[in-house]
Amino acid sequence: MKPILLTLGTALLLSACDQALIRQGSAPRPGFALVQDSTRHATGQDSVWHLSAAELDANAARVSALVNGKTIGPDRAVQVALMNNRALQAAYAELGLSGAELWGTALGSIPTLNLSVTNLGEEGFARTLEATLTTSLLELATLKPRKRMAEMDFRQAQLEATGATLALAYETRRAWIEVVGAFEAAALIGAAQGTADAGSELAAELGRTGAMNRADQAREHVFTAELAGERAQRKLEAQLAKERLIRLMGLWGSDINVNVPDRLPDLPHGVTARPDIERLALTHRIDLAAGRLELERIASDYRLTQATRMLSDIEIMAGAEMEREDGANGLSPVVDIEFRIPVYDTGNLNRRRGEMTYMRAANTLAQEAVNARSEARSAYAAVTGSYRVARHWQTEVLPLRREIDAEALRSYNGMLTSTFELLSDARDGLEAELSAAEAKRDYWLAEADVSAVIWGSVGGSQ
Amino acid sequence: MINRRQMLSAGAATMVAAGAAAQTRFRDLPEAASTDSPMTQVPPRPSVGVDYNPVVTLNGWSLPFRMNGNVKEFHLVAEPVERIMATGMIARLWGYNGQSTGPTIEAVEGERVRIYVTNRLPEHTSVHWHGLILPSGMDGVGGLSHPAIPPGKTYVYEFDLTKSGTFMYHPHADEMVQMAMGMMGLFIVHPRDPAFMPVDRDFAFLLAAYDIDPGTYIPRVAEMTDFNMWTWNSRIFPDIDPLAVSKGDRVRVRCGNLTMTNHPIHMHGYDFQVTCTDGGWVPESARWPEVSIDIPVGAMRAYEFDAVHEGDWAIHCHKSHHTMNAMGHDLPTFIGTDKRKLTGMIRERQPGYMPMGTAGMADMGMMSMELPDNTVPMMTGWGPYGPLEMGGMFSVVKVRAGLAADDYSDPGWYQNPPGTQAWEWTGELPDHASNDSPETRLTPRPTRDNG
Ligand SMILES: [Cu+2]
Repeated sequence: MKPILLTLGTALLLSACDQALIRQGSAPRPGFALVQDSTRHATGQDSVWHLSAAELDANAARVSALVNGKTIGPDRAVQVALMNNRALQAAYAELGLSGAELWGTALGSIPTLNLSVTNLGEEGFARTLEATLTTSLLELATLKPRKRMAEMDFRQAQLEATGATLALAYETRRAWIEVVGAFEAAALIGAAQGTADAGSELAAELGRTGAMNRADQAREHVFTAELAGERAQRKLEAQLAKERLIRLMGLWGSDINVNVPDRLPDLPHGVTARPDIERLALTHRIDLAAGRLELERIASDYRLTQATRMLSDIEIMAGAEMEREDGANGLSPVVDIEFRIPVYDTGNLNRRRGEMTYMRAANTLAQEAVNARSEARSAYAAVTGSYRVARHWQTEVLPLRREIDAEALRSYNGMLTSTFELLSDARDGLEAELSAAEAKRDYWLAEADVSAVIWGSVGGSQ
Repeated sequence: MINRRQMLSAGAATMVAAGAAAQTRFRDLPEAASTDSPMTQVPPRPSVGVDYNPVVTLNGWSLPFRMNGNVKEFHLVAEPVERIMATGMIARLWGYNGQSTGPTIEAVEGERVRIYVTNRLPEHTSVHWHGLILPSGMDGVGGLSHPAIPPGKTYVYEFDLTKSGTFMYHPHADEMVQMAMGMMGLFIVHPRDPAFMPVDRDFAFLLAAYDIDPGTYIPRVAEMTDFNMWTWNSRIFPDIDPLAVSKGDRVRVRCGNLTMTNHPIHMHGYDFQVTCTDGGWVPESARWPEVSIDIPVGAMRAYEFDAVHEGDWAIHCHKSHHTMNAMGHDLPTFIGTDKRKLTGMIRERQPGYMPMGTAGMADMGMMSMELPDNTVPMMTGWGPYGPLEMGGMFSVVKVRAGLAADDYSDPGWYQNPPGTQAWEWTGELPDHASNDSPETRLTPRPTRDNG
């Protein structure tokens, strides 16, 4: 357990300096640079935060140019989703709110009383505190910690915004794979149906000449009809998958006139070896970062409690001096002796509470880290395994099927087998192609899942 | 198991002892002649022993022999062989001395023969001398007449030829498999009296059926009925040699059936009489004229005719599927089906698809399309006037004036004398009779013109 905590502890260093945070908080797009960096790193795509009507219009035009009447690849789909998905913009607005909060706290304009009180402790203590403290006193006493709280909220909001961005990117990529895979499958079923149609056509002709009885004709026809049903089903699945992609990309109106390729890309020559996938996951996962932040928050919470308990002059003075030096709001720190808070008396209990709370969070985080390691290994196993399966279909099964098709034709040529057998072998070949296509789709999905476990942005997939 | 092995070794010991005795008497085995050619090899007239007129085994040969005192010695070697059934098709069979069917054994009535049989097969074998009168212990039924010949061993059969006639030999140990694999041969005993039933040309062949799936090389030995290779001497049309005959010759054709069905062998251009079975010569008073003779399963027939009609005369089994090579028997009849739309649909997936059978199957004989490996088209062969559309048990009796007595080479296609060949009518057609009623109609007596 300890080494993990240690690792996490060092990771905590990622927190930027306060001033920078405050600058970020007051920026038009507070904290967004981190979101952009992470997103670019994880997905290779840009995330965009629109703030004005003009920006939105410009974005709409850009999106339209990217999709309207175009055949789009997975990267463009992800890019458009990041540009155009309104739920993501809503998540960014959350980040903005948090930034405003940070800014406000730093400026001291609006006391974040509830937040601070809630974080002070639980049950009756907080209420007692709430009842006995005046707003100004509390604000005075907790100005520094509250600012820290706001900073942490802000950092958490950053993580959440990043997480939402990566989740959207991931879901969009998966959706693109699903829709292209669905169209590829539908096309193969269509080809299989072509062979069945030929069988039906021949059966009808043989019925006309008197060479095939009604039962055998019906057998050919029902096969065709069933396959037509399956084809319709596959087409519907492809359509619905496409609609889901369109939703993720936030498209509507004429922009839904967007196309995807007929088939998924061929398999790459190999799978990228990722011996460090566990490390990547531990250092990159947004959910772990959030957990680390939570620890920090708890530590901070209870440090706050300690400080309260040790609300000695020195500490308060120091805090007041600091505030004065900051010159942020010009508060004159008046030490009120009545600010002898019961918190102090229950200090031991509170420390114990803090310890337990911290350990609970630490343990939860530790378990999440262990899970993350396992998920990383699973994803790597899945991508290498599904690659091997898809490769096997491509290099072993399909060549054999092609050989069978060639031999079926030779056999037909020699009047050794009938046209129906020729068609039946062709259909079997198409079924194998369908399986191969599905294996290829599974590989691409597994490939997408790898980045998901590294960035940990997704709940649904694992 | 132990008991069986003990029995076998005991039996083998007995034969080894007999073999040792033979070796002390004769020092060595006669040479085991072998050939890798599937072409007809006309045997030379015998230079030693009693004279006779050798038979011509179609796409086969006669086993050389040596005289050891008064005994005629042969050496048969049972072994795996590769037989070229036709150009483009090799069958991996079991046979004798390099070929299936095995070489023809020829001897003369009254002679004593000693036949060494060496087993180079992976399992035991034996040789049954079908139709010959001999001691029970020489009859070659494994386990009944004598122990089967183990792999690697040589057994000796020795007996007197008490009668002349048309016979054959084949294994009688794991008989089903070994015959399905091609083990058989002709055994001809010529009459001691050269004046008895003499002929100028004496042809011989064995009917054998194999089931060799298209694209494969080895027969399916478990097949009972659905054979696809109907062979004469393990050879199929178009590569069965013709029967070249000089006009005026007295001709005998000997035919034995080691398939599991009967074959009505039909020869065009002649009527003829059966003069011999594997039971012996048929008395003249018991013969009747035929143009087809049914060769029963496990039986032999010899028929004779005077080759007075020049020409190219088909000779074939009259079961029409037996003059086909490998084909499917589950094909729908496509006669009259319009495949124009279908063709486009199938070519979406199989660009090489050719529609066939709409007007019958003759297009198969015309086209040469890619077939599975080691497969001869179901109907094939070309004559001077077009495709023959045949396969399997089909050849041509070629009667020509002035062929040399020992000339069995293919004289080429017959030139029909002017006015003796069917010709195309290009004039106006008279009304032809037609009847759409299935009722019996009595034909009125022709009205005679008494003027
Ligand atoms: Cu036949």
